[in-house]
Amino acid sequence: MSNTALTIAMPKGRIFEEAYDMLIEAGFNLPENVEMSRKLMIEIPEENIRFILAKPMDVPTYVEHGVADIGIAGKDVLLEERRNVHELLDLNISKCHVASAGLPNTGLNEIAPRIATKYPNIASDYYREKGEQVEIIGLNGSIELAPMIGLADRIVDIVSTGQTLKENGLVEYEFVVDVSSRLIANQASYRMKNARIQDLVKRLKKCVREG
Amino acid sequence: MSSIRKFEKPLGMRDTFPKIFEKQEAIRSKGREFLQLRGYEFLKTPTLEYYDTVGKASAIVESSLFKLVDTQGNTLVLRPDMTTPIARVASSKLLKEKIPLRLAYFANVFRAQEHEGGRPAEFSQMGIEIIGDSSVYADAEVILTAIDFLNQLGVEDFKITIGNAGILDAIIRKNVETDEQFAELHQLLVQKNLVGFEEAVARFRLPRTEEETLLNFLEEATELTSIRQISKYLSGKQALLYMEQLASILEIADVAKYIAFDFTLASHMNYYTGMLFEVFAAGSGFSLGNGGRYDGLLSDFGKDVGAIGFGMRIDYLVEVMPQQEVPKDDVLVLFVSMQLQEALKTAETLRAQGKRTTLQAIEGLEDVATFEAQFSDVVRIGQGGISL
Repeated sequence: MSNTALTIAMPKGRIFEEAYDMLIEAGFNLPENVEMSRKLMIEIPEENIRFILAKPMDVPTYVEHGVADIGIAGKDVLLEERRNVHELLDLNISKCHVASAGLPNTGLNEIAPRIATKYPNIASDYYREKGEQVEIIGLNGSIELAPMIGLADRIVDIVSTGQTLKENGLVEYEFVVDVSSRLIANQASYRMKNARIQDLVKRLKKCVREG
Repeated sequence: MSSIRKFEKPLGMRDTFPKIFEKQEAIRSKGREFLQLRGYEFLKTPTLEYYDTVGKASAIVESSLFKLVDTQGNTLVLRPDMTTPIARVASSKLLKEKIPLRLAYFANVFRAQEHEGGRPAEFSQMGIEIIGDSSVYADAEVILTAIDFLNQLGVEDFKITIGNAGILDAIIRKNVETDEQFAELHQLLVQKNLVGFEEAVARFRLPRTEEETLLNFLEEATELTSIRQISKYLSGKQALLYMEQLASILEIADVAKYIAFDFTLASHMNYYTGMLFEVFAAGSGFSLGNGGRYDGLLSDFGKDVGAIGFGMRIDYLVEVMPQQEVPKDDVLVLFVSMQLQEALKTAETLRAQGKRTTLQAIEGLEDVATFEAQFSDVVRIGQGGISL
């Protein structure tokens, strides 16, 4: 089955650009500009590759079920989704970190501290590890609102420059975990298409920048 | 929690409809004949076992066990695997009669889903166990049986990845300082989190040589050209000689094209002590099955003998098997009630010819045309016993 295409699940948006450029740099014969605004799938017959474009949170799901052989996903997504996928390489792109933040000079409510986040698993793991029992409130976006209007004492979210926090009058309290994009693989594809995947890993590894 | 609707089933439970049932049954009957011809004896064990015996000895994580309580207050589990119950039966009874034992099973096992659907919580497994033989030939037999069985089913594009739990443990242990470090690295390899492995090694601040050894091992062992490459990571060579012997047996058996060695292969099934393997095939994103040597498990049940086996998932086998179009050969004998005798005779003749024959009184049908359309052939027996 060496003639079947390698299916790569890519996250839509900012990470796509960076990862795509990295593939070009690694010597893959890909068109410089891809029209990806509405497309969900891109075929690259020259390289026998097929990209599927997914919501970043969903990339590990496609890879776990084997409908994509490999994928590119943020560490935040991997920690949150806890999918059974192989994590092969840290691409060291799209770097940021997960942190807790809140209004300046505030502490946690003593009776029932509330944490708003779109990463309920990461947040509850973190506070459990710290030995603090908190209540997690799941939100899907505009997390910064929660402390501003009194829904939660803290938020747990990704921070890259800190600009969004600042604009909303929030300060960072605790560092939770570093995040960067990772190359992940389906367990069966990793064995069945091993040569192609190893080759890809080796070529990408050369393009990974430190720091 | 919304109320349960009439059509719903517990999370992870599935119905097996006739078409899939037929496919699974075909695998079962082929497998049965195939394994019997190789001297394997089939057995069954109960669906329920004690938590304290089989539940604890099995390698399935506690949160995946379905538990219930019997009338005496003992905790029971729905069997989460078959290897552990077989170890129980073998050590308490069967080993007194014959050594080594070659046992086989078809059984449903139960593992609760933690997150969501997409994966069944009850599934059929087919497997074998050789108990009481510690030689490398038993390892080879198990692997060759798995290969031949897949070939028998018409599956050609598959890979068996072989590792060794003992060798992996020894290499990691030799290069880390604490049990916690060992456990963390082992768990990262179970998840095949290579990035996490490198990060953890860096975080441990091990002496330079140990750190380099672990990282080199990770790189080299996943892309092995010869087993001897691993030699430099080990002080005792016995396990390695064993693996080389296994490799040469598999070479002689001419199955090298299906085999890949990966000494970083680690299993969440923590009872494996020696050789272990995983089976993958084109057409499924999941592992079809796995197996290995589990010499320690039998001693949990009071017998110190070697044991090895494998289990394969019937549901995944169905997915990767070539689709054989079974010619539809269903005959309908439709009769008016007056002609029952004639209809019975006709049906008997057809069945004797090996045709699947459905006997249906026209009086019992509301929509004759729709029902008839589901058959490849219709014999009508109308008034006066004439087929129309």
